[in-house]
Amino acid sequence: MSLFQFYAHNSREALTLIGQHLYLVAVSTGIALAVGVPGGVLLTRRPAWRGPVLGLANVLQTIPSLALFGFLIPLPFIGGIGARTAIVALVVYALLPIVRNTYTGIAGVDPAVREAGRGMGMTDGQLLAMVELPLAAGVILAGIRVATVVSVGTATIAGAIGAGGLGVYIFRGADMVNNTLILAGALPAALMALAADGLLGLAERKLAWRAR
Amino acid sequence: MAGAVTGGRRLALACGALLAVGCARGDRVVVGAKNFTESDLLAELVAQQIERRTGLPVERRLHLGGTFVCHRAIIAGKIDVYVEYTGTAFTAILNHAPLADRDGVYRAVAAEYAERFGFDNTFAIVVRRRDAERYGLRRISDVAPVAPRWKAAFGYEFLERADGFAGLARAYGLRFAAPPTAMALGLTYRALADGKADLIAGNSTDGLIQALGLVALEDDRHYFPPYEAAPVARADLLGRHPQIARALDELAGKISEDAMRRLNALADVEHQDIAAIAREWIARSLP
Repeated sequence: MSLFQFYAHNSREALTLIGQHLYLVAVSTGIALAVGVPGGVLLTRRPAWRGPVLGLANVLQTIPSLALFGFLIPLPFIGGIGARTAIVALVVYALLPIVRNTYTGIAGVDPAVREAGRGMGMTDGQLLAMVELPLAAGVILAGIRVATVVSVGTATIAGAIGAGGLGVYIFRGADMVNNTLILAGALPAALMALAADGLLGLAERKLAWRAR
Repeated sequence: MAGAVTGGRRLALACGALLAVGCARGDRVVVGAKNFTESDLLAELVAQQIERRTGLPVERRLHLGGTFVCHRAIIAGKIDVYVEYTGTAFTAILNHAPLADRDGVYRAVAAEYAERFGFDNTFAIVVRRRDAERYGLRRISDVAPVAPRWKAAFGYEFLERADGFAGLARAYGLRFAAPPTAMALGLTYRALADGKADLIAGNSTDGLIQALGLVALEDDRHYFPPYEAAPVARADLLGRHPQIARALDELAGKISEDAMRRLNALADVEHQDIAAIAREWIARSLP
């Protein structure tokens, strides 16, 4: 069966899985953003935490997804089987690029610029909002871009924990040795990753242009 | 599913046609296994038996993937031997309807299979012992009344196979609260033991059933065919080395269901090394 025929016969299921995939990526990247950007900012204010926090994010990144699911299943609130566990795992994997780029972006702001801001009587909050974050935005956005694109690919592991998404076709295809099925999952995921990369790249360029 | 339709003819053809090209890899015997403990253990046992009886070098390719992955691998000549189950070969690979007649199933697949080990590893429909006691569940047909409140979780292969979930649900009139959750097979036991799912499909010889406080329900409507384990080897390999067939025949009838369950428990519950488990078993059972 060709890929076209497959989609024609299974359009409703395919759309459901694509929807689930988008949902998993959107929610997990959103949470990673909400936690990661403030986390990165905090590290610039507490330099002593930098080593342990980035180290932990690095270690979390290296845990194989099946092992992580094994740990998560018994846990209350964040565990179980289904979308919640998958989202927790995806957040864990998306955190590192966002936290690190936020920290690196802000730490890379020219000290002279920061001093100028302080000299004008800015509070720490004003300095962050009006000087540091705008200047670091390009680097932060680059981190978000990496995290999102990686998430689109990693979200296929949701199929291993009953959370649906395009990984369902990939796992089913791998177990049944059916290449059409594997492609039916992999192709839309790849297109989604390219689209996310393109859109966020556009945003990055726009930002760079405005900054000039 | 589409891949399995012509599986029977392809298996027969491949075993004959590939006779000619078998020598390319030298005389290394490659033993494969499916992606669960028992398959790894039996493959290791077969590998050690071939090593000590024939002296041929044996390469292990364990934990490869599901039934269809191993089946494709042996047809393609990437592996020479693996352990298959008669019922699986009959329904999932040769694509027959499930059949309860033990010897009929064996005869249908026997052309390609060596002698059986002597035990049957059927799909086990597994629930928590606590639930089994509370609702008085002994047989799968007892599940029907509680199923609408339950959540089932299965591996992808069980959901797709001809002898898998769809037929089971029809045979027993099972209707769950939601369509069963599809997940990685290896995580289903954990999900059941931790109360995240209420019913899974495992293997009747799994050591974990006892260890995790679970029970397997009786297949009272005989939906599943017998799944007797037997090594399957490429015809060209056995042609070149008849002593391998003799070595494999020595294993015939040597492992009972209880014995297999104990071996699996050594690996899954006591976390012993499978090579050591196989070595000890051979030393004890095959003087």
